[in-house]
Order: sequence, then structure tokens, then C-alpha cells
Amino acid sequence: MSWHISEQLVASYATGELQGARAASVEAHVMTCAECRSAVNAGVAPERMRGIWSAVEDEVDMPRRSWTERVLATLGMSDSDARLVSAAPSLHTSWLLSLAAVLVFAVWASNSRSDGTTLFLILAPIVPVLAVGGSYGRGIDPTFEVSVASPYPTMRLVLLRSTAVVAASGFLALVASLFVPSGGDVAAWLLPCLALLSITLVVSRWFTLPLAAAGVAAVYALPLLAALANHRDVAHLLLSASLQWVALALAVGCLALLTHDPMLRSALRRNR
Amino acid sequence: MTTAATVSEVRRRFGRTQALDGATFEIGTGVTGLLGPNGAGKTTLLRILATVSAPDSGAVSVFGHDPASASQRVEIRRRLGYLPQDPGFQRGFSAFEFIDYVAILKEMTNRQQRHAEVRRVIDAVDLTSVSGKRVRALSGGMRRRVALAASLLGEPQFLVLDEPTAGLDPEQRLRFRELVSRAGEGRAVFLSTHQTEDVAALCQDVVVLDKGRVLFQGTPSDLSAFAAGRVWLADERVTGAELVWRTGEGRFRHLGTPPSGADLVEPTLEDGYLLLVGRFDEEAAA
Repeated sequence: MSWHISEQLVASYATGELQGARAASVEAHVMTCAECRSAVNAGVAPERMRGIWSAVEDEVDMPRRSWTERVLATLGMSDSDARLVSAAPSLHTSWLLSLAAVLVFAVWASNSRSDGTTLFLILAPIVPVLAVGGSYGRGIDPTFEVSVASPYPTMRLVLLRSTAVVAASGFLALVASLFVPSGGDVAAWLLPCLALLSITLVVSRWFTLPLAAAGVAAVYALPLLAALANHRDVAHLLLSASLQWVALALAVGCLALLTHDPMLRSALRRNR
Repeated sequence: MTTAATVSEVRRRFGRTQALDGATFEIGTGVTGLLGPNGAGKTTLLRILATVSAPDSGAVSVFGHDPASASQRVEIRRRLGYLPQDPGFQRGFSAFEFIDYVAILKEMTNRQQRHAEVRRVIDAVDLTSVSGKRVRALSGGMRRRVALAASLLGEPQFLVLDEPTAGLDPEQRLRFRELVSRAGEGRAVFLSTHQTEDVAALCQDVVVLDKGRVLFQGTPSDLSAFAAGRVWLADERVTGAELVWRTGEGRFRHLGTPPSGADLVEPTLEDGYLLLVGRFDEEAAA
């Protein structure tokens, strides 16, 4: 090596004052010159060295972000909340594919059977309910026990995950609606769906979320499916204005109950 | 020794099974071991102390906080580290990602500080070289250490460990003892185990639980002393002893009332434990 970095340059580089092309030039040189590398190494303050190492380690250890995590972060959710929410089992691809399969079946039925649209109106609202049931709870979330023993508010986690899975599964159901041949009637599942989701959250105060979701979905869908199998006029009921009003009233009532819940309020206040 | 937690007349039933039947004891700073046969109620007790489950009746207090109150429960959880018996792992997470996930649950929101803490606990359990590997690709013992690392996040004041040495090899168990011993300095560690040698090596206090009841609380040497004068070695198997097994040296170790002229030996903690639980089982059967 025919030349060496001047002491002044070493000092500027070591304190971080040197920027751009000149800093890059010093870095290229120290890669091949042991003498200058030693001089630069000795000039960097231990505190600064620790900071640089910490930043490098942080970058190396940065957890891989799933696609759901990236979407949630884009929508404005904090990195830490996005990580907890994206771990919801029902946001995993396998769950979403299963829900999509139910909807594809309902769409196929609506196009091939005379009562197919009614079947779609029964199945579509329970898809987001089942997704909520698969978002958190014992036997569903592998880290359930550790999360319960942590100070992170359970209700906040349930609500954040429920919102995310309802958005994902609701989007799937809305897309499926476009392929159902019934004009504007197909939107009749939206208010019942909102009511079922609200009831599920209220019922989850006494039962686990998966059990609450499965119970609410079963109580809603099984009698309707049985009536449909017996050739009753279920479509008339599902499309009636009275059912829509009842669904709206139930949704508003349950949401009012939830917002007056002290645990819910406490969970929502966090991080405000 | 400062009291960290108290358990008073705690009862818990699952269907027809009375898992806890009036358990009463105190946990102080330092390491307290919980011994008991399978089905004694150990996991139920640990889950109650970790605020995961609630008792049917009785009172629990951790650092003066009542876990029955929602606000006080959060205060307990802020000071708690918990290793469940069967820790689950999020699908596809690496060891680092899993511990980072638990750190978020423990309210560590500053990413850089959180990652530094995650690295610290990973280093403490000697898993730095595999921190980027998926948890499901790790061996059972390594997974156990990943879960143990997660419980150490934030240097908790109260560490509840359910069978932490299950699946660890002898070298890892020695390292674990060093780790837990350090965690118990000025803080409280409560661990359940089937390994009496871990209790003898680590614990300042030991609780023996059977059929949901506390049979004993005291020092490990007090538990060993329970078998004083009732352990002897002989060249042949002697009938009438409560328990007999052949030792590595080829002699027979007997527990129970010794015959005259028996070659009495110093009892171990395991001897005391076996005699205590055996006597209780006989009394319960009578």
C-alpha cells in the first residue's frame, strides 16, 4: 500500500462527520489496508461503536413481515400491533382458502340451483363470523396461554384481530356476491352478518371466542338450512324488510352493550 | 425472605376431579420448588398463580395484588414471567420472531430496545446460533429453551415455570440451574418439576403437593430429614420395606422402617419425598 489516510481524515471518519463519496473512499481503502483499518478502529468511540453494532444487529434480526402485516402497517397500524394481529390463525392463507372454498360453493350453488341464492344468503354472513372464531382463543391460538398471562389487554387483541379478519373475509364474501345472479338482493346478507358478529362478541364475554362464533353461526344457519331442505320459503324471510330491521336493531344493541363494557373501554384507552 | 405470593385455601374442580383441595402456602423471594406426582394439581396451581385460571374458592395474592381484580391482575402480569407446561409456537416463526412476539405482548413497544432484550434472553439460554431458525425445525429441548427465554423477558419479579427441565439434556440442565439461580436473586421463582435433584440443587424452599393438598412446605434439608433413620442399604432385598431398588453399586436401597442392625444411610430429598407421598397415599386409601 503506497499511501495512507491522513490523521485528520481518520478523525473525521471516526466521529461520523465524513459523509458521501469521501466516506465511501475511506471505507474502500480500509478494506485492504490493515494499518489504516487499525487507525480508524482506534479512533471510533466505544459508545458510537456499540450504537453502530446495535443498529446492524437490529437490521439483521428484523423479523420477516408477512403480507398481512405489511397491509396492516400500510393501513396505519403500529408495527407491534400489526405483528400481533397478523398472527391470527384465520388470517393465515390456509384459513382464508377454506373460507373462500365455502363461498365458491355458495356461488356455484346460486348459479346451478333454483334456491341457490338463498343458500348464498345463509352462508355468506357466517363466513366472517367463523373467521372471528378462528382469530383468538384456546385451541385456536398456539400462544393463547402466554398471551393471557401477559399484560397486553385481551379485549384489545380480540377486537383488533376481529376487525382484521372481518375485513379480509368480508372482502371475500363481497367479491363472491358479484357472481351471484340475483341483482341487488344479494346484499341482504350484510346486516345479518353485522348482527351475528356483534352477538358473537357479546357472547364471548361468557364463552371462548371460537365457541361463541361456532354457537352463533350454528343457531343462525342450521334452522335456515333445515327449512331450505324442507322446501320452505326461506328467501322470503331473508329478503324481508322486517329481518333487516331486526338485524340492525340487534347490531346496534350489541355494539351499545360492548361500548359500555368497562373492560372494553379500558382496552380501547390503551395507547391513546 | 420477602413474601412474593400467598395461596390460601384455594380450591379448583374440573368436573368430578378436585384438582386443588384447600392448598395453602407462601412463596418468598428465591427459588421455590413444587414437587408432586402426576395429577397432584401442580399445573392447575401454576396456572392460577400465572393469572391464566381462577380458583373456585380461596384467595391468591401476588405482591399484594389480587388477581380477581382486573386492574390488579394487569399489575401482576407486568411483573410475571410464565413458562406453561406445553408452550405453543406461532406457525412459521423463528426463535427470534417468537420471543419478539411475546415481548410485544409484554408491552415492549420500542423496537430497538425490544430487540436488544430479545437478544439478551436468547443469549442467556445459549440459542444465539439458532435464533434465525424456525421453531418447528428445532429439537424439543431447544424449543423448551426458546419458551424459557420468552419467560425471562423484562427480568420478571415473579417467574412461574411449569416443568422447565423437561426434555433438557444434563448439560442444559446445569446451565438452566445457573440461569434460574441468578433469576431468583432478589426475585421469586416458583417451579414445578419431577426432578428432585433440581430441587435439591436449586431451591431454598420446597412445597409438596398431592391430591390438591399441600403435604409439606420447608427447606430441602427438612424434606430429606423426613426420611432420617428410615433409609438403609443391604446386600439382599428385605421384605417389609415400603420401597426397594437396586443401586448402581449392586446393593439394595430400602425405604421404610429398618430392621434391627440395618446399615442406615444419609437420606436424600428424593427419599423424603417418596416416603411423604407414600404415607399420604396410604392414609388417603385407609
